[in-house]
Amino acid sequence: MAGIKPATPVAKPEEYRNVFVFLETREDKLVRPALEMIGVGKRIAEKVNEKLYCILLGGNIKDQAKEAVSYGCDVVLGAESPVLSTYRTLPYSHIISDFVKTEKPNIFLIPATRNGRDLASRIAVSCEAGVTADCTELDVEQDTRILLANRPTYGESMLAEILCRKHRPQMATARPGIFPVPEKIKSPKGEIRIKEVNVDKSLLRKEVLEFRKKNVVDLTAAKVVVSGGMGLGKPDGFKLIQELADELGGVVGATRPTADMGWISRDHQVGQTGQTVRPRLYVAVGISGKIQHIMGMKNSETILSINTDPNAEIFKYSDYVMVEDLYKAVPAIIQEVRKYKAEHKVAPVEQSK
Amino acid sequence: MTLEIIVLVKQVPDSQEVVIDPVTMNLNRSLTRNVTNRADENALEAALRIKDKTGAHVTVVSMGPPQAETTMIECLARGADRAILASDRFFGGADTYPTGLTLAATVSKIGKFDIIFAGEETSDSSTGHVGPGVAEFLDIDQITYASSVEYKDGYVIAERELEDGTEVVKVPTPILVTVLLNSNAPRRQTLRRKIDAIKKGFEVWDHDKIGLQPEHVGVRGSPTIVRRMRPIKERERAAKKIDLSAVGDLVKELYEKNIVKLEDE
Repeated sequence: MAGIKPATPVAKPEEYRNVFVFLETREDKLVRPALEMIGVGKRIAEKVNEKLYCILLGGNIKDQAKEAVSYGCDVVLGAESPVLSTYRTLPYSHIISDFVKTEKPNIFLIPATRNGRDLASRIAVSCEAGVTADCTELDVEQDTRILLANRPTYGESMLAEILCRKHRPQMATARPGIFPVPEKIKSPKGEIRIKEVNVDKSLLRKEVLEFRKKNVVDLTAAKVVVSGGMGLGKPDGFKLIQELADELGGVVGATRPTADMGWISRDHQVGQTGQTVRPRLYVAVGISGKIQHIMGMKNSETILSINTDPNAEIFKYSDYVMVEDLYKAVPAIIQEVRKYKAEHKVAPVEQSK
Repeated sequence: MTLEIIVLVKQVPDSQEVVIDPVTMNLNRSLTRNVTNRADENALEAALRIKDKTGAHVTVVSMGPPQAETTMIECLARGADRAILASDRFFGGADTYPTGLTLAATVSKIGKFDIIFAGEETSDSSTGHVGPGVAEFLDIDQITYASSVEYKDGYVIAERELEDGTEVVKVPTPILVTVLLNSNAPRRQTLRRKIDAIKKGFEVWDHDKIGLQPEHVGVRGSPTIVRRMRPIKERERAAKKIDLSAVGDLVKELYEKNIVKLEDE
C-alpha cells in the first residue's frame, strides 16, 4: 500500500484479538517453520484464552488447510488463486495485509525464512505495526496481552526483550529451527474459510522464470548430526565424518569455513548463515566453536566435541569433550559403535528352507 | 535516459570487535570501530557493475550520525556519484519502521529512481526489514536475497537464494533489490576518487530538509521498544572429559541414555 506515513497507535487495542500466523508453503506443502509457528502461536493464544488463526495462500490449499487444523489451528483463513501458487511479494503482502486489517489480530507471527522476511516488514508498514525480527523466545503477558518478543543481539551474547505497546498487530518473525514442531491434536475441530481471489494484474508483474531446486540436505529433521570443521585439515576428512554419521544413523554437517573452502557443499552448513539444528546428538569434529556456528547448534540435546585445542570455545557448549586427535578419536568411536551394535542387535530370524 | 540507482548503506560497529559496557549493558560505541555494513558494500558493487555497463548515476543514501561520514566518502571513493547522509538528532533510536520511513522520504525527495539496492541485512541488527520496508513505503516491488543481478531494457533479472534452491525472477523497474552478503567482490576505493570525494564532499540532510516531522522519526516514531536486555544464559553443560581409553564407555552411555538409538539407521 502506498504512502510514506508514520505508524499511528491504535485507539482501542482491546479490539484487537487472537493470534495469527502466516503458514508458508513450498511446493504445496507446509514448511517445517510454518508448523513451528502453529506450535508457538497456539501456546500464546491458549495463554490468553484466544484463538489461533492461520493464514494460507496458494493455488490449491485444501490439504494444507486440513493439515493446519490437525496441528491445532482454530481458524484457517485461506486465499486461493492460480497466480498465488508460488510466493511473490506483492500479491501475498496485499492479500495478507487485507486479512490483517479486516480481522484485527492482537499478535501476528511469521517464520523468519527468506520469504517470511521478504514479507514481514511490508505487512508491518502497510498495517502501521511494529515487528521484531528473528525471535528465539516468544511469550505473552497474561493481563496486558502484550507480546514479549525476545531476540539475540550483540553477537548472540545478550537477549533483548522487545515490546510493541501501542500499535497493532504486534508482529514478530521467529527464527526457524528454534521452536518445536507441535504434536497433531487428538480431535481437530478447526474451521476452514477459503476464498477465491482475483488478483489485480498490477501486482503480478514479477515473473518467476525458473526455480533450480537444490538437493536439500534437511539437517533440521535429523536426530543425529556429525559435523566437520577446519580441524579436519583436508576435504577428505569429510569421508570420516560421513562414516561416523552413517554408523549413528545421522547426517553430515559442516562449518561455514569448510563450505567456503569447497570441502563440502553449503547444503551441509550449520550456523548463522546455514541451518539451525536441534538433534538428539551433535558431534562437533575439529570445530573451534565460533559464535556463528554455535548459533546453529547450541540447542542440541547432547553435544560431543572433539578438538586438539583444550581451550576450544566449543567445549563450553559440550556435554562430552575429547581433547584428542580426531583422526584417532573418530575411528575409535566408529569401532566401538560397530561393536555395540553387533552385541545388541536382535539376531535375524532364520529363513525356513 | 540515464538510469538512476540508489544504494542504501549503513555504518555499523565492526562485528568482530563488539564491546559491551558491563554497567549499562549497551554497546560501547567509542571503543568499537565503525565500518560500512559488509552486505551494503556488496549492494554498492552490484550498482557500480550496472553503472559500468550502462553509465548509470549512482547515489548512496544513509541514515546515521555524523561519524558515518567515513562511509559516505568510502562509497564515493569506490565510484558512487553522489552521497546523502540523512542525519539529525531526532533520527536516533529508530526501529525499522521510522528507519525505513526516513530512508523512503529521502529517496522520494531525491526524485526519480529506477533501482534501489540495499544489503540483505546489517551485521548489527540483522533484521533484514529495512529494505522491504522502504519498498512498501515507496509502493514498489522488490527482490530479496539476490546473489546475482542484471539490468536489461527496463527489467531487473536476478537470482534469489532460498532455503531449497535458486529462484530466477524478472521484474520491471522501479524496483528495490536486496543483495546477499559476499555475493560479489566490492571494488577498491581509488586514491583519485578519494581525493575528489573529500573535496566534493557529501550532502547532509536533516528532518526539515527531507520534510519529516520529529514525532514521526527516531525513537518517537518507533512502534517497538527494547524493554530490557539480559545476558543469554547458556544451558550448563558438563563438558565431561573422555579420553581414548574411555570411548567404549562413552558409546555405551550414549546408547543406554537413548541419546543414540539402535533404530537410528
